[in-house]
Amino acid sequence: MGIKGLTIIGESINDSVPSTHALFEAGDIEGLLELARSQDAGGAGYIDVNVGPRAPEFMADLVRKIQEVTGKPLSIDTPDIEIARAGLEAYDPGRAGGAKPLLNSISPLRTEMFDLYKVRPFKPILLVSERVAGGRSQPCRTAEETCQAARSLIQQARDTGYGFTNDDFVIDPGIAPIASDAEGNLKRLIAAIEKIHRDPDLAGVHMSVGLSNFTVMLPPKRADGSPLKSPLESAFLTKAVPLGLDMVIGSVKRKYELLPENHPAMTCLNQVLKADGFDAIMRVRDFYS
Amino acid sequence: MPDPAELYDAILTGNAKKAEEVTKAALEANVNPSELLSKYMIPAMDEVGKRFECNEYFVPELLIAARAMKTSLQLLTPKLAAAGAKATGRVVIGTVQGDLHDIGKNLVASMLEGGGFEVVDLGVDVPAEKFIEAAQGKDGSIVALSALLTTTMTQMRNVIQALEAAGLREKTRVIIGGAPITQQYADEIGADGYSDNASAAVGLARKLVGTA
Repeated sequence: MGIKGLTIIGESINDSVPSTHALFEAGDIEGLLELARSQDAGGAGYIDVNVGPRAPEFMADLVRKIQEVTGKPLSIDTPDIEIARAGLEAYDPGRAGGAKPLLNSISPLRTEMFDLYKVRPFKPILLVSERVAGGRSQPCRTAEETCQAARSLIQQARDTGYGFTNDDFVIDPGIAPIASDAEGNLKRLIAAIEKIHRDPDLAGVHMSVGLSNFTVMLPPKRADGSPLKSPLESAFLTKAVPLGLDMVIGSVKRKYELLPENHPAMTCLNQVLKADGFDAIMRVRDFYS
Repeated sequence: MPDPAELYDAILTGNAKKAEEVTKAALEANVNPSELLSKYMIPAMDEVGKRFECNEYFVPELLIAARAMKTSLQLLTPKLAAAGAKATGRVVIGTVQGDLHDIGKNLVASMLEGGGFEVVDLGVDVPAEKFIEAAQGKDGSIVALSALLTTTMTQMRNVIQALEAAGLREKTRVIIGGAPITQQYADEIGADGYSDNASAAVGLARKLVGTA
């Protein structure tokens, strides 16, 4: 099962997932631990842990409890430095076969998070869909801007002197929902993945996207009753994995697979990549309606 | 001349070309622009909203319909302005400082425009003072704030405090939305309303300006 060479960071323990949010709100720790167990059993390479806007101590406690039920390394997922610090402090590499945790994520505006390496060595997920220009953060609109943001953030990581290697870096070039992609983000993303993969200075880095974001805001099924999201996500992977994408934050329940070029979802994706503006959105609508 | 009623279907199905054609023909035939707006266009977008809320339409249909609406509105706006027609209300919208996410904000802006509101879109990463500038001198404006991150949602409180400091809080209404936002958070920071989707945001805005 799955795609060879593709590591899944299990996405389920995330406060923004409605069913998981309900577990958090109910204080159902056992329910959260069950998500860790099932994702472990389902083949996740890492277990993501996102507690939303809760106290750092809550993150620490949850990390400890999750590590009691899984030997998979964790991905500490928060933009909040104190919650990240608590998660890293609580993380025990010994329970994960010595593996470093991921820290999801460091953006050009959150580079102080590199210093958490002193708390616990980690592998940073680097969010490079944003860049700093003129002292302010801007979205990357082109593959070159995205690649440049990756180079710049990696340089900053190297400059810390903590000893990050290319194998530590997981670059997230930013995936946007295809349901609203009138601005050619998918084109930018595919080109950026290829560019980063071919950059000699970035040789050996990993790349990841939050795959479920790709199909949010779409119906679950096509008009003929067949599933919509899994094929579209697989079509994306069919394009992106050969270009260098080797990780996704995703669901172990999804049947990710490489599709033949004549699969209807591949046809849709190819049409979207050729279309401009709202035509791209209309190609997606045509695919499911 | 095409029947102006065709404008309703053109917007509902997101046929921008047809919407433009019918609008042009109707204006050439001296059909009242306010009537076009209130009889066909806004009801079409209201229907889009209803279908969205009952999962019959999804974001692609919503965006495509909003684009058709916008195509017609661009033709209509100069005529409406010349006739002194008033919008349903005025909304100043933006994603708060430090946050570059614009998908939700754009959806809400499109739906509000489709609902007959004048929309001033300040974009993303908007500092509190920009919201103040845009609301100043325009009593009754709604300030709509979007945030996707738990680290940036706190800026919403700053905007409300800045409105208070500028003496504008009593004259404006503040609505908020975004993935980490809840009604509880809206209550906590003293916002006037919260919506978890773009369609319901229109109903909320109408309620706040007393036209619901």
